[in-house]
Amino acid sequence: MLTVSVKWQKELLKVVEVDTSQPPYVFKCQLYDLTGVPPERQKIMVKGGLLKDDDDWSIVGLKQGQKLMMMGTADEVVKAPEKGPVFMEDLPEEEQVVSLGHSAGLFNLGNTCYMNSTVQCLHSVPELKSALVKYSHSGRNNDVDQTSHMLTVATRDLFGELDKSVKPVAPMQFWMVLRKKYPQFGQLHNGAFMQQDAEECLTQLLYTLSQSLRSLCSSESIDTVKDLFGIELASRIHCQESGEESSETESVYSLKCHISQEVNHLHEGLKHALKSELEKASPALGRSAIYLKESRINGLPRYLTIQFVRFFWKRESNQKAKILRKVDYPLELDIYDLCSDELRKKLEGPRQILRDNEGRKLGLKANEKSSSSKDNDVKMTDAEGSSNASGESSMTISQEGGPSEKEKHLTGIYDLVAVLTHKGRSADSGHYVAWVKQESGKWIEFDDDNPIPQREEDIVKLSGGGDWHMAYICMYKARTVSM
Amino acid sequence: MSDPKNDTGTAQPKAPAKDPKKKEEEDLSEEDLALKQQLELYVKRVQDSDPGLQKVALESMRHEIRTSTSSMTSVPKPLKFLRPHYGTLKAFYQTMPDSDLKKYLSDILSVLALTMSAEGERESLKYRLLGSEGDIGSWGHEYVRNLAGEISQEYIKRQSEEAPIEDLMELVQQIVSFHMKHNAEPEAVDLLMEVEDLDLLVEHVDKTNFKRTCLYLTSAARYLPGPDDMLVLDIAYTIYLKFEEFASALQIALSLDNMQHVRQVFTSCDNQLKKMQFCYILARHGITFELDDEMVADDDDREALQDIINNTKLSESYLTLARDIEVMEPKSPEDIYKAHLLDGRASAGASVDSARQNLAATFVNAFVNAGFGQDKLMTAPADSSIGGSTGNWLFKNKEHGKTSAAASLGMILLWDVDSGLAQIDKYFHSNDNHVIAGALLGVGIVNCGVKNDCDPALALLSEYISKEDSSVRIGAIIGLGIAYAGAQNEQIRSSLTPILNDAKAPLDVIAFTAISLGLIYVGSCNEEVAQAIIFALMDRSESELGEPLTRLLPLALGLLYLGKQENVEATAEVSKTFNEKIRKYCDMTLLSCAYAGTGNVLKVQNLLGHCAQHLEKGETHQGPAVLGIAMVAMAEELGLEMSVRSLEHLLQYGEQNIRRAVPLALGLLCISNPKVNVMDTLSRLSHDSDSEVAMSAVISLGLIGAGTNNARIAGMLRNLSSYYYKDASLLFCVRIAQGLVHLGKGLLTLNPYHSDRFLLSPTALAGLVTMLHACLDMKAMVLGKYHYVLYFIVLAMQPRMLMTVDENLKPLSVPVRVGQAVDVVGQAGRPKTITGFQTHSTPVLLAAGDRAELATEKYIPLSPILEGHVILKENPEYREDS
Repeated sequence: MLTVSVKWQKELLKVVEVDTSQPPYVFKCQLYDLTGVPPERQKIMVKGGLLKDDDDWSIVGLKQGQKLMMMGTADEVVKAPEKGPVFMEDLPEEEQVVSLGHSAGLFNLGNTCYMNSTVQCLHSVPELKSALVKYSHSGRNNDVDQTSHMLTVATRDLFGELDKSVKPVAPMQFWMVLRKKYPQFGQLHNGAFMQQDAEECLTQLLYTLSQSLRSLCSSESIDTVKDLFGIELASRIHCQESGEESSETESVYSLKCHISQEVNHLHEGLKHALKSELEKASPALGRSAIYLKESRINGLPRYLTIQFVRFFWKRESNQKAKILRKVDYPLELDIYDLCSDELRKKLEGPRQILRDNEGRKLGLKANEKSSSSKDNDVKMTDAEGSSNASGESSMTISQEGGPSEKEKHLTGIYDLVAVLTHKGRSADSGHYVAWVKQESGKWIEFDDDNPIPQREEDIVKLSGGGDWHMAYICMYKARTVSM
Repeated sequence: MSDPKNDTGTAQPKAPAKDPKKKEEEDLSEEDLALKQQLELYVKRVQDSDPGLQKVALESMRHEIRTSTSSMTSVPKPLKFLRPHYGTLKAFYQTMPDSDLKKYLSDILSVLALTMSAEGERESLKYRLLGSEGDIGSWGHEYVRNLAGEISQEYIKRQSEEAPIEDLMELVQQIVSFHMKHNAEPEAVDLLMEVEDLDLLVEHVDKTNFKRTCLYLTSAARYLPGPDDMLVLDIAYTIYLKFEEFASALQIALSLDNMQHVRQVFTSCDNQLKKMQFCYILARHGITFELDDEMVADDDDREALQDIINNTKLSESYLTLARDIEVMEPKSPEDIYKAHLLDGRASAGASVDSARQNLAATFVNAFVNAGFGQDKLMTAPADSSIGGSTGNWLFKNKEHGKTSAAASLGMILLWDVDSGLAQIDKYFHSNDNHVIAGALLGVGIVNCGVKNDCDPALALLSEYISKEDSSVRIGAIIGLGIAYAGAQNEQIRSSLTPILNDAKAPLDVIAFTAISLGLIYVGSCNEEVAQAIIFALMDRSESELGEPLTRLLPLALGLLYLGKQENVEATAEVSKTFNEKIRKYCDMTLLSCAYAGTGNVLKVQNLLGHCAQHLEKGETHQGPAVLGIAMVAMAEELGLEMSVRSLEHLLQYGEQNIRRAVPLALGLLCISNPKVNVMDTLSRLSHDSDSEVAMSAVISLGLIGAGTNNARIAGMLRNLSSYYYKDASLLFCVRIAQGLVHLGKGLLTLNPYHSDRFLLSPTALAGLVTMLHACLDMKAMVLGKYHYVLYFIVLAMQPRMLMTVDENLKPLSVPVRVGQAVDVVGQAGRPKTITGFQTHSTPVLLAAGDRAELATEKYIPLSPILEGHVILKENPEYREDS
């Protein structure tokens, strides 16, 4: 009988008797009693070797009082989880986009940044995407011409591609079709395509889309594009001289923001633009007279597009010159006071609910944390906005243009979702860039093929007043409440 | 040695014109005039025929000179006035018959020659040898210095003529003894080095001057060529031993890598406490050393000492340090990334795990929590839901990533063998080969630098090295290499060498086997291992030679000769017969390894020469050449600065493959020593348009900041992480670098130099070099599936602490002053050794270039250098101030 000491983890088991006539397995069982480690999990180290169950003790050459070391635990053996984690590197490309948090950029095909930024702005409207998805090749209506159809299809395909790829996309097909439909974009200068006005591109594109998408759903008489972007204006035309008054309504796709000396803020510019003077023949006076036209918004869109009228035709230099004046615009726009009385009444209810909701949330917040800073508020609204957005996008996929949408009510409050900026001194030169808010609430600057993440506070700094990028078109998304 | 003739000031031509002389006479004071006339009289009398008169005149002249040469601020008056008569006296001397008087005159002429002798004539020496051989010091210090200078010139001349030198040596004896008695040890050493007879020094040192002498010898050794440096260190060793300054003797023995000397230190010393201190020094150096009963007679004592050498308590004292500094709280990779300090950019929603980023987090976690025994990913208790329990995090890594994840457990439990093995155990029973491989590697890492009687690493790993699955094999092989680095273990050799010549073994298994053997036999010049690796290299097919992995074979060969200088030559000859694809690579690697840490300028020149060539065939040997410059030049500060500048030139003019290696070389030169100029260079390179240059610059930023928590580097890396947020490979490198900067939460260093930058730990350097060589081809190794090569730096990881312990080896807190080290070599008196110090109480951290000294008289340290573990003995003469 020998006695040895066994070191196990931090413990030292002193004086363990070894019966050298029995196989080592018996010794291991002895240790099992002492440590609770099952024999098959025990690893006993004797001078640089492991003790095997059927070793001969005489070969091992154990000495009286020798120190042995035992390794082993009674712990559970680590098992791989049933379902291994999914790694970004393994995902197909379209799913990597999701984890990337933003869609791909677009290659510049030679002065096509105006087109790229326009496409990126429109691409941020999920409802438009889903409407386009439903548009099929064959379902072409006869009253839409071939090129419009092709442009719509090209838009659909391009949006699809943007959603699927991680790497920048070259919008070749779209570019060709666009030039075909609107030859003015194919203008050449010194053998290269000329820079164009992004606003023009946006208007034309929306027009085409509205044509072709309307025809699709003609039976239901729903104009998707108009529903999304159309603004109903009710105007009162008044002649001071004669006291004549008439009213008319019109539908536009964007509000203008006139920039003059006294305009410092988007709101002022909008008001300014809604009042205009025009000269027309007065039936009462029998001559042309100055009429005052005052417009009010009578119907709100889901996406409010605002164009800063920064360019004007300068005759002497024969180009569209730019007003560099700084015009601030908010992240959250309330256009209640630009609305007609009729619309205001309709908005009242939803606005009250929205206020209540926000008040409740803020109140809760205030109770939770004494330091409810302004920063928190912004985050709150952000979170809400994004949850709205995601809710809506999922809804629009499921909906059939039907009743669920009716439950969402517009409030006249809008959140900024995209800014198209221009940098340079004239509309036909310089550089266009789109700044788009993603569903995650993050802002991405789409500078052609290079998407760059940006901070929200930098977005409102694009208000002009220098040679930096300045907002040319802003796109706001309506904040809605369900009743 | 300065030329004394320049000090004499207003030296004039031998026969000055009359007019100025007259003028001069007018300027003289009466006293001087009297002296002058007196001396002129003596000169005349000397030429008198009467020997009696002659003698009196000589005696008086001698007296005048002696009384005036004590101070040497200006030319002594008697010498000045005798100058015009030097020629006369010389002429008269020739005519004199041999006699005592002639010798007397000869003495005087010798002194006069001090100012008069023409350059290269060495008349002072000539007349001295002809003279009376009296006390040399009586003529003043300056005279002796001048004489020493002339002796060294004469010696060279006689050596070339093979003339006898006995008379010179007699004089040397006198001069050395004079210098040694008069606080001029550097001059004595210089003279003896000139006449190549340093052994003389041993007789002349005494208790008061041996320390300064040895300090001068050891620092001079760094700049000496070839075998001379060894000789000088040997003398220093003898002197230290003579005066029983054993700890210093041991350090020199280690720097000579002479185990005989180490043994001698142990056998000569009979104080158990001092021996303990020796063991701490050996443990820090990281060599394997077995005590026998000749060195320590008592069995229990020997066991206690061997335990210290085996580093068994290292983990304990490291944790004591951590508790004292209050950094025990585990840190997660997010704590290191500090993404909240970056604006919007980084960290997208990250709904999906990225395998690459998780792997980076694994490494960061391992580096940051190294040795602390707890972390937030691997060892966190299973019930903590957030962040994931052990199993979960492990499986958040993909395939080979799991190897590194399991091995990271070894890093976290570094040096703590007992609990380390217990925690790793469960992974041995996994059914995933990658996990088993990781567990094996982890066992190796836990045992790094720690030896145990039961050899658990060998017991556990040896049965896996011949397994079927190559990842398991590699895990076991690298594990052995790390655990037994420098151990020269026969048993491991016999089991590993067959793999090298196994035709069926995959290339990666062979490459890592070679590396492991290289590490285990680092600096041993072992013939058999070298043979095995050479055969393995010769067996490689043409296509295999092009693989990046194959380049590890020459490196393994180089490691065998690490720092062994000309011992490499035989193997270098053999390497000339290799396939040309690998020949030059092998050549460069062998050269750089063999001269690593020597500071040999000629070798640096040679390597620079290779880098200056512009190659067109895509050869790869310039990478190791650039690294080699760093390896050779890292030895001392001056050479280091010079090579930093040379590397800067390579950046400007070098080809791309050179530019890729330059950041790594800079990283090695300034490892764990964040010099601002290097930091700036690397920061610039980290934005280089060549992504591989950028990658190695980023990794090197981590290396120079390793374990320093340097805020500036941390900030740079944070910005890089947002700059490269889209480039997964570069982001991975940035993360690794971030982990390195916070290595061990700032308690560790990677510097292979220790003990006041005097000793180079061979295993530490081997680990670093292996990792850097792997980084030469970032894409194939670190970014591929061999990322576990990063764990090789564990060999260089050491706590950068000063831990003072009492006679029972229990931590003892005493006040110490820590400040920037000052070079005091060759300075007289007792100069301050540190500057800009702060007083702390131990344990305390030492940064690069820091030195500590006790701020209390109450204790006496047993080691001359306060680094690592230092045993304090109570000072018996200490009286408490009331």
